[in-house]
Amino acid sequence: MVQINFATKEVSCKIVYYGPGLSGKTTNLQMVHDKVPAERKGKMTSIATEGERTLFFDFLPLDLGTVAGMNTKFQLYTVPGQVYYNATRRLVLKGVDGLVFVADSQPDKMAENLESWQNLKDNLNEHGLALDDIPVVFQWNKRDVADAVPIILMADRLNDIDAPAYEAVACEGEGVIATLRGVAGLVLERLNEQRRPAAASLASSEQAVGASADSRPAAAIPAAVTTSPAPPADPVIRPAAERETVATASAATTAVPVWPAARRRRATAGGRGPVVGPTAAPEPSEADDAPPRRPPRPVPVKRAAARARPTVTPSARLDESIGSAAGAGRGRPRRRGKVWIGVAAGLAAACAAGAAAYFAWFGG
Amino acid sequence: MQTSEQLRQQRLVYYAEDIDQINRTVDKLLELSEAGFVLLVDTEGHMITRRGTTPEGMDEESISALVAGSFAATKEMARLLGEEEFSILFHQGEKDSIQLTLVGDRVLLAIVFDDRTTIGMVRLYAQQTAKKLAALLDRASERSDGEPAEAIAEDFGDSAMEKMDDLFQE
Repeated sequence: MVQINFATKEVSCKIVYYGPGLSGKTTNLQMVHDKVPAERKGKMTSIATEGERTLFFDFLPLDLGTVAGMNTKFQLYTVPGQVYYNATRRLVLKGVDGLVFVADSQPDKMAENLESWQNLKDNLNEHGLALDDIPVVFQWNKRDVADAVPIILMADRLNDIDAPAYEAVACEGEGVIATLRGVAGLVLERLNEQRRPAAASLASSEQAVGASADSRPAAAIPAAVTTSPAPPADPVIRPAAERETVATASAATTAVPVWPAARRRRATAGGRGPVVGPTAAPEPSEADDAPPRRPPRPVPVKRAAARARPTVTPSARLDESIGSAAGAGRGRPRRRGKVWIGVAAGLAAACAAGAAAYFAWFGG
Repeated sequence: MQTSEQLRQQRLVYYAEDIDQINRTVDKLLELSEAGFVLLVDTEGHMITRRGTTPEGMDEESISALVAGSFAATKEMARLLGEEEFSILFHQGEKDSIQLTLVGDRVLLAIVFDDRTTIGMVRLYAQQTAKKLAALLDRASERSDGEPAEAIAEDFGDSAMEKMDDLFQE
């Protein structure tokens, strides 16, 4: 949750990198640490095992500097990706303001990607949140592997929320900053919108669509949608940010805002969401960028039930190649019995590592 | 699920008047307990205030993140063990020790002290201070639900995006 401290003139936001084990979350932070000037970053803290697998979290504070009189900071976290550490993942998600889902583009990792994506939804639910509540971007990492899953399939299998997506080769630093810039921009946009909770007005380009497409009760939604700000001159800031027009049914109907308040979809060749990267299609010109009509995004999204699919699809062929059970990403037998002992052991290890880090700082 | 309005209202906002009162309360704690310094950290890892003499070059942000993470981990352990939470954590070092005390349900009081005082003194005054701070934070929370006395500027988002351009130039 964004913290605003008017006494110290600080705004602090929390961004969490999520994803399966060894997908490149820690590498992302390391690359950000390498690229950001020294005066704009703090020390990177990693609580990890001796094998350099994240045990609790990695932490990197960034200082954007003074913005409109407020010292603006981003706190970047990663979570442990291994399935075993689900309890600690849930802890790190507390208070998250923006999410980066780092997916592994290797074909044999798709099942883990899917499991981690579902795990993210489950853990957000534990905190009373849904994906619509939090700015999310995808990072298709490891695009340099020879048999990387095509972007269209990555998006098709994972990006069921039409979030912006970025290609990356994190170990080379490619796409890392673009991803961070994307999610940070969405977080700031949301903060700006929440700053005006009741004085919002509909975007001028909105068109009426069926309000029934939105599953959220109208009574719980703020009065109106904020007017979308003019797109920034530099498209790199939000090159993959979708702009959807939000529509209402009629003047008598309470406006149905979809976070972010105004989105305009940029058509891309293939894929369900815009992708920024070397293989992404060139962005259309502004003149072609007419706001399309589309219903607001339902929450939560159940892709499988939402649309009919042909019997044989590239996605199905991919499933065959990686195993249908694994491709579903679900149905793994739950471990019962002594799971709680393992969880407690993991938490205890994290505490011990955290305490050791304390005293490393204090020199005690 | 939560609406934007609910999320906005849950946002942590601290105004100068509240921080002044909190600082005075914490200063009193330092005086009575003879501790070294105090960090007030929210359970999400953001530092609220710092009082006392901190070691030179101490990375407050990392410490705050570790304080919150450590507390969160032990809280989960407590839950698995059938407890609601462990409201006090204590780590003893060779020179300095640290005690974390839960304040209300969203803030942690981290007190670092050395052999100039005792754990008993620190714990006694920390518990009293935690109650006072909880009351202060409740009042601050009620105030922030109403019309805000201060607000971030209208152009904050756009200005921040420009700053990011400068920061993230590749």
